[in-house]
Amino acid sequence: MSYAVRSDALAKARGAVLYGTDIESPGMLWGALVLAPIPHGTIRSIDLTAARAIPGVTAIGPEDLPRLLPGVPTDPERPIFPSTTIQYHAQPIAAVAAPTLEVARRAAQAVKVETRQHPAVESIDEAAIGPKPEVIGHVHARYGDLDGVFRTADFVLTETYRTNSVSQVALEPHAAIAEIRDDGTWFVRTSTQSPFGVREDLAAMLGIPESQIVVEGTWVGGGFGGKGSSLVEPYALVLAHASGRPVRLALTYREEFLLGRSTLPSLIRLSSAVRGGTIVGRRVLWKVDAGSSLPGRDFATGYGVGFTVGPYRVPAIELEGIALRTHKPPLGPHRAPLAPQCAFAAESHMDHLAQRLGVDSVEFRRRHVWLPGDLTHLGQTVGPFGLSQCLAEAGARARKWRERLPENHGIGVGAGFWSTGTGAGGEARLFLQPERLRIVQGEPEIGSGSVIRGLAAVAEVVLGIPRERIEVDYRDTATAPFDSGVWGSRTLGALGQAVEKAARELRAELAKRTDAPEGAIRLTVQGSELAVEVDGVFRPVREILRREEIENGGLTTYGTHYGVAGSFDALRVLDGTFYPYTDFTGAAHVAEVALDPELGTVRVVRYAAFHDAGRVVDFETAKAQVEGGIVMGLGTALTEEGLWSPEGVLQNPGLVDYRIPTLAEVPPIEVHFIEGFLGAGPFGAKGLGEPPIIPVPATIANAVRDACGEGPTELPMTGERLARHLKLLRT
Amino acid sequence: MAPFDLVHPRSTDEALAELRTASPEGVAVLAGGTDLLLDIDRARIAPRRVVSLRYLPWKFLEWSGDSLTIGSTLPLRALEVEPRIRQRIPGLWEAVRAVGSVALRHRATLGGNLVRSAPTSDLSPILLALDAEVEVVGPHGSRWTPVDAFLSDSRRPRLAFGELVRAVRIPEARPSAYHWQRVRPVNDISQVGVAVARSPSEGYYRIAVGDVLPRPVRILPAEEALRSRPPTDDEVRSAAELAGKLSPFATDRRGTEEYRRHIVAVLARRALLAIRTAAPRGPAP
Repeated sequence: MSYAVRSDALAKARGAVLYGTDIESPGMLWGALVLAPIPHGTIRSIDLTAARAIPGVTAIGPEDLPRLLPGVPTDPERPIFPSTTIQYHAQPIAAVAAPTLEVARRAAQAVKVETRQHPAVESIDEAAIGPKPEVIGHVHARYGDLDGVFRTADFVLTETYRTNSVSQVALEPHAAIAEIRDDGTWFVRTSTQSPFGVREDLAAMLGIPESQIVVEGTWVGGGFGGKGSSLVEPYALVLAHASGRPVRLALTYREEFLLGRSTLPSLIRLSSAVRGGTIVGRRVLWKVDAGSSLPGRDFATGYGVGFTVGPYRVPAIELEGIALRTHKPPLGPHRAPLAPQCAFAAESHMDHLAQRLGVDSVEFRRRHVWLPGDLTHLGQTVGPFGLSQCLAEAGARARKWRERLPENHGIGVGAGFWSTGTGAGGEARLFLQPERLRIVQGEPEIGSGSVIRGLAAVAEVVLGIPRERIEVDYRDTATAPFDSGVWGSRTLGALGQAVEKAARELRAELAKRTDAPEGAIRLTVQGSELAVEVDGVFRPVREILRREEIENGGLTTYGTHYGVAGSFDALRVLDGTFYPYTDFTGAAHVAEVALDPELGTVRVVRYAAFHDAGRVVDFETAKAQVEGGIVMGLGTALTEEGLWSPEGVLQNPGLVDYRIPTLAEVPPIEVHFIEGFLGAGPFGAKGLGEPPIIPVPATIANAVRDACGEGPTELPMTGERLARHLKLLRT
Repeated sequence: MAPFDLVHPRSTDEALAELRTASPEGVAVLAGGTDLLLDIDRARIAPRRVVSLRYLPWKFLEWSGDSLTIGSTLPLRALEVEPRIRQRIPGLWEAVRAVGSVALRHRATLGGNLVRSAPTSDLSPILLALDAEVEVVGPHGSRWTPVDAFLSDSRRPRLAFGELVRAVRIPEARPSAYHWQRVRPVNDISQVGVAVARSPSEGYYRIAVGDVLPRPVRILPAEEALRSRPPTDDEVRSAAELAGKLSPFATDRRGTEEYRRHIVAVLARRALLAIRTAAPRGPAP
């Protein structure tokens, strides 16, 4: 085990790196958004006169867009401003730019908006009063003798789980600085997980080709899914165009909550038929609040619904997923979108079934868990997958902890699976120079270390080069090779493969030039420069490179990775779009909780995580990633929730009443990796960005069930919610 | 944030003189600043002049026998690290520890908390249970007033413009406890706070609750239910039930009235049992 000092660590500790909110440009203006005052209604008028009367202010509204946009937008479902109908509270309906932030905010307040309010759809709950939500997405799959197994079951357990909104809460808000260059390029620097994704969004929203747009990612102060697509960039660009000046636009923290892209409430009804101690059939009805989003609907239903079954063999299944449109902001991805919520339902259900059967819940899981070669609910073949082993370890840890368990404490085990996004493409270019190796690629480092440490580790392993001689260089969309972005836990698994290929090609070239076998090539430091070491003989890289290579940035190799998605049995699909998985990863977690039997409060006492992440490329980075995911999951499990009024207005857009965990609640965490089930990534690595959060709410809920015999059915498990569920209140 | 002048008087007279020459809307008083800066930042107030109490000689802690006087601008952290407070007045120590984080307690002050008079204060209930008194200084000199009389409306204590809180006196060290409940256990605003104390000299009990409107209050019928010396289990249970039933709770986004009543009944019982037979620890100062 080595301790990885990240190459960005010192600069970040010194405050020397530039995040989106740090960047300024000479002569720039400050932007501010005018937000819809109501969740649903008609815009009667937007009067920009008073804002424009303030010296130096540029103000734009829906009526200005035809004049200002360089082309005709091709995505009518994502207008920059709504022309008539407001779809959610705080939807941007106008924007201003001014010489200072104070003046910009004053100008935004000076915009007079008249609206006619309509009743808003706030809830997907059938019992809610008011108008009913519209179905905007539907998926349906079925296979096996469902009616038969339910008819002949020993018993059927049916239950409903509910989850609430969670926000990403990146420390750094969305921030962009835009300018229109003299050559007609629309240029934006922005804090994003996906510069190429933002470019694609902008092309659709502005109606111009991607070649006319350049997106440069800044250092990112946390993304967690919230910075996966464009948010502030189109406003900054249109304001820059209207004012003729660079414009910087950053959301306030209140705006982060109001118009960020949260995970919204869901309702999960599970019904399992059990015979002879095994699950023989399951029906799932899953409803998810998609907010005002149309683009996210397919993903929400077709991807998420699979997580309600869990990584288990069930011979007969019916899955139905429904995305419902409400007047909330658009649904967005929050680290492993909706999987922790679905796993909460599915894994609580597993424990409940085991409880009914009177069997150990870990053994019950292992009776059903996917093994390599099994088929998923949609008939996709499971590849290398070590969850059974993770569960065995978790079960052993749970037994050990149980040896000395205080009163009102409980121990829970929860499992989860994920699919590394290795299907999405990425490319990388390597430059070997006399004194260093540069990796040029198109992903900003968002904090996890997967770019700055993970990609470097790949080159380090292939070329044997000391890590301090590797520079991971991020470039804008005009000069970097293409990459799909930081999402789906794909950086190491997918882009890492491109780096690995480029590094192997470089190694082969060095072998050729030094007349050595490829396997013997190692790059070491000699004096101040790099040398190729072959069997104890050192040849300076400077001598190996051709002169034109030294003059042109180094010896260059190129690697690409365009993965092949898995496939499933299309005959099982009755309606909608499902998505296959790639590279199965899994984890089993164990938690010990202390439950206050009178107050309903839960404290997590200790926690252990067992992950199949394929080959672990850098232990410290991987461990940090698991710890971070667990801490984030504590919030989803226990305290984080968006509170919506019946009118559809978020009541807690701030960190006082939206409660993320603080260090004080974080228990001791053990992290273990089960290696040997290799993925498609470099050396067999699998994704690890999202998997750690998935089992957390389920694990804690199962520990609560263990402590008191009753399992929670709604997230987050706040004291009051649990006290009511456990019927502790004297009414 | 609108600009303002920051002044640092060095004596009580200078501080009072600063206030005499200002208008109530134009001036704000800065103790720890943990609430004031938020108010200014969010434009709830826009003072032109901020009078800082930082350099006043009010950061003292004085024991006189078993009575303790605390300078109003002493940071809460100083109370937290004073072993005699933890030993002799454990309820005060628990309440101080309930406020924010260590970093915040290095700035926040007892005087600031009292003058702020938030219904959610974690300190007001324990001060009520300890029969604490407040020293108010103003143009007409100094007066001592019970905390119960000082607290009035939400965020509006009985403090005239031009007056300042100089000190808080706790007349005797008492076996005491402060129990609270929150959605998140730290760095959150309490859903309820329950302070209890027993007078070692007279034997009577005090029970005070926070997070009630318009201000933290003592629940007298609950105190009166504790007749025996020491009170019986039944008496403790009924006092706790009365505290739950009679506390003027409301429903807000931190919790419902019903849950709060339940919690207070549980916490009051636990707190009373914790102090029923406890004697002050450590040597008398």
